[in-house]
Amino acid sequence: MSRLRAEGLTLGYDQRAVVSDLDVNVLDGRVTAIVGANACGKSTLLRGLARLLPPRAGTVYLDDRPVTALSTLDVAKVLGLLPQSPVAPDGITVADLVSRGRYPHQGWFRRWTGDDHDAVTRALDATGTAALIDRPIRQLSGGQRQRVWVAMALAQETDLLLLDEPTTFLDIAHQVELLRLLRRLNAESGKTIVVVLHDLNLACRFCDHVIAMADGRIVAEGPPTEVVTAELVEKVFGLTCVVVPDPVAGTPMVVPAAD
Amino acid sequence: MSTTDTLRATRRRRGLRSVTVTTALAAVAAGLFVFTMMAGSMRLTATEVVMSVLHLRTDPSVDFVVLGLRLPTALTGLTVGLALGASGTIFQQLLRNPLASPDFVGITSGAGLAAITGIVLLHLGGLWISGLALAGALVAATIMYLLAWRDGVSGYRFILIGIGVAVFLDGLIGYMLTRAQLFEARQAMHWLTGSVGQADTHELQLLSYALLVLLPLAVLLQRQLRALELGDDTARALGTRTEASRAALLAVAVILVALAVAVAGPIVFVALIAGPVANRLLGPAAGGIAAAALTGAALLLTADLVAVHLMPTPLPTGVVTGAVGAPYLLWLLATTNRRGAGG
Ligand SMILES: Nc1ncnc2c1ncn2[C@@H]1O[C@H](COP(=O)(O)OP(=O)(O)OP(=O)(O)O)[C@@H](O)[C@H]1O
Ligand SMILES: [Mg+2]
Repeated sequence: MSRLRAEGLTLGYDQRAVVSDLDVNVLDGRVTAIVGANACGKSTLLRGLARLLPPRAGTVYLDDRPVTALSTLDVAKVLGLLPQSPVAPDGITVADLVSRGRYPHQGWFRRWTGDDHDAVTRALDATGTAALIDRPIRQLSGGQRQRVWVAMALAQETDLLLLDEPTTFLDIAHQVELLRLLRRLNAESGKTIVVVLHDLNLACRFCDHVIAMADGRIVAEGPPTEVVTAELVEKVFGLTCVVVPDPVAGTPMVVPAAD
Repeated sequence: MSTTDTLRATRRRRGLRSVTVTTALAAVAAGLFVFTMMAGSMRLTATEVVMSVLHLRTDPSVDFVVLGLRLPTALTGLTVGLALGASGTIFQQLLRNPLASPDFVGITSGAGLAAITGIVLLHLGGLWISGLALAGALVAATIMYLLAWRDGVSGYRFILIGIGVAVFLDGLIGYMLTRAQLFEARQAMHWLTGSVGQADTHELQLLSYALLVLLPLAVLLQRQLRALELGDDTARALGTRTEASRAALLAVAVILVALAVAVAGPIVFVALIAGPVANRLLGPAAGGIAAAALTGAALLLTADLVAVHLMPTPLPTGVVTGAVGAPYLLWLLATTNRRGAGG
């Protein structure tokens, strides 16, 4: 069963189709990685799934209803998205930014409640950004900033969460920490997570399901051990490599071939 | 301290700052409003002014000066300032750029061109000029919106097009002036400088009623504005109907600035400065539309007091706001790109 799925989805900008005739089923309660070369349409797909970009053709279904038939607010209550390069207004503080994740749960007159407070507290604690609470975003390092954005997406408390390259700017330890956090959220609350990643090894290690894209199409999908092979990496990234088992978890690990 | 306590303390501090600053600004604006009616060749006390305005005491000579002469000016300063302050900060936040005040994106120029055309070619005066200014601002805003509309209105694009439109319209204004007879040219120049002293009662009434509706509406729309500030993708992911919200906010801001220009002429820089000044005062609670509106009123009332009472001869208000605003603009241009906020 998939609460979020797309059929025959075509997305694009201006005259050009970027993603064409795509069928996707986002597995419920799993962590899915989307991988692929730069400009192959990963962000576009995510934007289409989250109703930010209207489809040229095909339909995205959320809980079996076409997303275009739902209001943005209804979508935002169950589906969260962290864009690839979000913009922070001048001078905004961490507390303020993370609090804005509560937007879909508030109304014209119903403003801040205990639920909002608890959700923001949890998001700050989970991402280790609680100590930064009073700091303006502009004064943070790239990695700190990235974690604050993730905190904002978490504060939205949606059942499904789409994250576009949440590990950019993070050092190796923080990348692993973030992916562990996603796993924990998935394990504890059954959150369905889709994450665009560039690091194949981390994708294999931490995700249940991998979707490999090339030129706006899905070229392979399935569990990492089945999908991530030397042929696939060659096909998707044009890189010759050897795939060996990760010494710790046994998941596929991509090692570039000697030149 | 645990996260929940820190968060609570932070939010409380922010809320408190917002309430304190907004209240203080309201007090300052109210004080200046009353003071405007006290100052002049016939000095009055605050009590006399307030009694007269509220019709609590009847004294023909005081009533004549206060109600007949000074109240319209003071009320113009207050309402035009509120309108410019609110409009300016909405534009700046919506377009995420401190330069994006309505005087820079062509809307004030649209009003100016329509008014000057009326004065020079049609030999009109009074309420006609205000009506034309209002129409001109609305037309300029619509043209801007249509020109900048492509996959939604992106901030930077809007500003560039706006500056282009403003330059074009200013050129046309210059052309109109060269066509004018001496008397009309003087009248036109006076109108273009902008002054709170030139208001007409009917326009003033219109602006006052419009403010009563539009300011609360703007404060309600603040929530949408705070989401839009995060960029369209994030705003939409949070459940904002971005185009509708942006259109509503732009409409409120354009009507406010159009009415303000119709009442007092294009008083420059108030819309540009009010928001940033208010944000300085608000600190972590930056962005408050009410605070920016009140700052606009305080600035304009102060500028008018300076223009009328502190200068050797009374000047139009726009001269004073221009003299204060121009250095600020230069400073802004010099520092914006260094901070990387230039767009
Ligand atoms: N707003 C836009 N307007 C026009 N074209 C766009 C827009 N956004 C993306 N594109 C184009 O669509 C194609 C796919 O872009 P997309 O952002 O989906 O790639 P991606 O797979 O996320 O790449 P990356 O790994 O670099 O983030 C690119 O060719 C890009 O130029
Ligand atoms: Mg991308």
